[in-house]
This record gives sequence, structure tokens and C-alpha cells, in this order.
Amino acid sequence: MVFIIEGIQKAFQLIFTLDKEIFIIVLLSLRVSLIAIFFSSLLGVYLGFLMAVKDFWGKNFTIASINTLLALPTVVVGLTVYSFISRKGPLGVLGLLFTPSAMIIGQFILATPIIIALTHSAVQGIDERVRNTALTLGATESQSAWMVIKEARYAVLAAVITGFGRVIAEVGAAMMLGGNIKGSTRTMTTAIALETSKGEFGFGIALGIILLIIAFSINILLHYFQSKRV
Amino acid sequence: MNKTILKVKNIKKTYNSKIVLDVDYLAFQEGKIYAIVGPNGSGKTTLLNILNLLEKPDEGQMFFYDQEINKKSNFDILEIRRQMTLVNQDPFLFHYTVYNNIAYGLKIRGTPPKIQQNRIKNALNMVGLPGFENRKANQLSGGEAQRVVIARALAIKPEILFLDEPTANIDQRHIDVLERIIKTINKEIKTTVIFTTHNLSQAYRLADEVISLLDGKIIKQVPENLLWGEIIEEDGSKWFNVVENIKFAVVTEKVGSVYVSIDPRYIILSYEQFQSSARNSFLGKITKIIEQNHLVKLEVDIGVPLVTIITRESFQDMNFNLGSKVYLTFKASAVKLY
Repeated sequence: MVFIIEGIQKAFQLIFTLDKEIFIIVLLSLRVSLIAIFFSSLLGVYLGFLMAVKDFWGKNFTIASINTLLALPTVVVGLTVYSFISRKGPLGVLGLLFTPSAMIIGQFILATPIIIALTHSAVQGIDERVRNTALTLGATESQSAWMVIKEARYAVLAAVITGFGRVIAEVGAAMMLGGNIKGSTRTMTTAIALETSKGEFGFGIALGIILLIIAFSINILLHYFQSKRV
Repeated sequence: MNKTILKVKNIKKTYNSKIVLDVDYLAFQEGKIYAIVGPNGSGKTTLLNILNLLEKPDEGQMFFYDQEINKKSNFDILEIRRQMTLVNQDPFLFHYTVYNNIAYGLKIRGTPPKIQQNRIKNALNMVGLPGFENRKANQLSGGEAQRVVIARALAIKPEILFLDEPTANIDQRHIDVLERIIKTINKEIKTTVIFTTHNLSQAYRLADEVISLLDGKIIKQVPENLLWGEIIEEDGSKWFNVVENIKFAVVTEKVGSVYVSIDPRYIILSYEQFQSSARNSFLGKITKIIEQNHLVKLEVDIGVPLVTIITRESFQDMNFNLGSKVYLTFKASAVKLY
């Protein structure tokens, strides 16, 4: 019991003294996840929009597949990407394994289906008259499409935030693809896993608290955007 | 002499192998007001969408001034499309302020912000909503929203303003306001206005020319006593319900909303109700008398205005006057359904 209390004390000490190592890890985590989410958003919002407005062969199957990918285990993504970028893999020459880029790829794969699926339902919920109204006012097809996305802006933002929440907190892919190298690919989640196994509870708890604060902030934001939806 | 601004020749439109529009020729002159009337499903909205270049006809030619639209590139068609605008029957305001709603059409045309501001102000003045710039779209009443939508259309200074059933979903007070606005737009900024309506008297009140559509075709003349209502079944027979408490016996297999017309020559006028095989008889008051050569046209209000035509001889024999109480009698089979 004592070691838990000591751990919590140590954690607050680390946080309030702005411990350098902790903040390197936090910043790296944020950087990796934000870059991954940036690219996921570009692709995911675009594909989610297309899925909502276009009819194509196999649409229902595609929607079911995307929804399945929402529950994609992070270790499976880790395994798959690993097999491609490991030295023996087809992309081995790029030397991506155990770099932040590898983690970005893994997180990109995890977040994109979430953003596609949530954008899809956000755009589907938008009044059909938006597109038509934009056209009557002289919009081109792409200007009217942009207007539809803008009308869905809060729900699309919520989709992006949800995706971010998923990747900032995942550990499987980051561990397998990043390798948890100190100062280079050590993220909050991989550090917590490592420090806990070393018995360094204070360090782990400090990161855990920061991660929780981030998760809490994300949820507050999400709640705010979802309430604006109506 | 006004120039022809928009002209169509032999246009056809088919949905699911059903012809919904088949118009030989239609020309609109600059600066006039046109009403397109016709029952639901007669092709009014399709015609508006085609005229507004939102839909392409399957066949036929269209001209904007002297330019043949079909032969233009997509870019040129967009330029032409941007000189007109359509206000839908069930209009939509973007979830922004009134200002940003009206600014939309100007922004996509790259209008400088200074000019935007001016245009938005003028457009709001024209629809009688000055100072509404910062209101949120969802804080407007139905009638206000309708006027903001018209302001949004006016801000882009269209050559042609299309209005699809502009008064279908609003109350009488706002209908009056809206009719005044339509007149003002046409008079003050010389916009050509083309609108559809269910309401024949509104069409004649506002428009320089009335175009009637039936089953996708233009009919030369609107029948007299064209009424819109509901076919209902009661006591085993079919009735046409025009307004509350007024229903005509009709002969039909149809149900639901329909147009009917009653030939004014088939309506008998009398001072007393008489026994006959005709199943429709209503008491009303003469509200208008128009003498035409050897015929006299009388408008009788029985709750809805109905026009009857009698010969000058019987008009004199019966000694009808404005305000006279008379019975109108006609057979169920005189009520023609569309």
C-alpha cells in the first residue's frame, strides 16, 4: 500500500517540477498522434463524405467493413505494419521500423476508419437541401460539397477528436512499431508499460495522470461539439 | 419592346420512362413576371429546375438571350447559371447568421467584401428586414426565414429570379407581404420573376403572363373554376372537399388531392332551390357581374368564388344584381377531375 502512496507523491512531484524526461515523452506522444490524425482527417473526412453522398456498387459491404475496423485491435495493426516495414518486409529498405514515422503509420491506420465512419454518419444527417441551396446560389459541385461539410462541421470535428482519443491512448502499435526507444519513440503509453514493469510507479502514475487529463480535455471538447450539433 | 431573356424549344424530361415534361416552346421576356400554375405532379418544379440549369432536359434546346446553352462549355454554363437563382418551395437557411447566409452567393462569386456589405444591407431593406444581419438562422420565424431566403437570392442581383411555390407554407399575413415584395423586386430592380403557384387568383394578381402546366404539357387556357381540394368518401359516395363545409358530389374513382374544374355554362342559377337530379346545390351571393356581348359572366361566392355564364336574355329575365342571393346547381358529372 505504501508504495502506491509514495508513487502518487512522486508523480505530483514530477509533474509540478516540470520533469524534463516526462515532458519529452508527452510532447513526442502529442506530436506523433497529431501528425497521424492530420493525415487521417484528410483521408477520412474525404472518404466519409464520398460514402455519404455517392452511390456505388458494394456500398453496404464497404460500410460494414469500415465499421468492423472500428474495433481493430491495436496489436493487429502493429503486427501488420511491422511485417511490411521490418527489414525483411517489402518496405524494409525504407528503414522505418522503430521510428516515429512507423508509429504515425500505425496510428493513421487506427484512426482513419473511425473518422470515415463518423464523418459518414455526420454527413448523412445533413439536410439534403444544403447541397441544392448552394447550387441554386451559383455554387459549383465542389463548392456545394464543401458547404455540406461545413454544415456538418461540429460532427466532423467530433469525428476527428474521437480518432485522436483513440490513438493517443493506444499502446500496442506504438510499442511494436516504435520500440519504446528513450527520447525517440517512447510515448506516454509505452513509457507507462515499461516503468510499471520496472517498479517505477511514480513515473508511471505521473504519465497516467497527464494522459487522463488529456483524455478528459478531449471528452470535454467532444461534448461541447456534440452539443452544438443540433 | 422587351428582349427575350430565356427560351426553350421542344424540351423533354423523362423519369423512370415516364414523361414528366414535354414543352414545345416557351419564351420569357426581360423584366416581366410569369406564373406557372398546375396541379401537383404537373411538372412545375421540374420545369423550374431545367430553366434554372440545375437539371438537364433529355432533349431540346435552351437559349439565354441569344446564346444556345446546350452548346456551351461547363464553365460558360456556370456563368449563365450564376445570372439566375431559384428559391425552393421549402427553403433552407445555412446554420449561420443572416448576414453569412446572404453573403454565400456573393462569396462564391468572389464579390469584394465592401460590396458584399452593401448588397446585403440593400437586400434586407428590400424584403423589409433591415438590421437582421446578426440574427441566427434558427431564431427566425417561418415568414422571416422566407424573406431572408429571398434577400439571399436578391443579393446576387439575378437577371431571373425563380420562386417555387413561394407562398405555399406561410400564413396569410406573410403571403400579402411576400406578394408585395415580388412586385417591388420586379418594379424597382427590373428582375424577371418566374414563380409557380397553386393559387390561380394569386397567379393572375401578380403575373403579366400565366402559364398552365398539366401532365408536363402547357395547356393553352386555364379552365374556369379550377379548384384544388381533396376527394373523400362519405356514405358510400365520393365528394370533392374544397374548403371546410363545402363539398361537391363528384363521379370518380380517384382519392386524395386533385384539381377539378366546373364548366361555367353547366351551372344553373335560381332564386329558389329546386328539386332535380343534380346533386350539387349551394346558396351564394353575386359578387361580380361582367357583361360580354350576348353573354354575362357572374361570380358567385358560395364560400369559394365560382364563375357562371348565362345569356344576356336570362340575365335580364332573372333581374340579377350585385349582392343577390342565388342558388347554384350543377350535376356531379359537371365536375371535371384532373
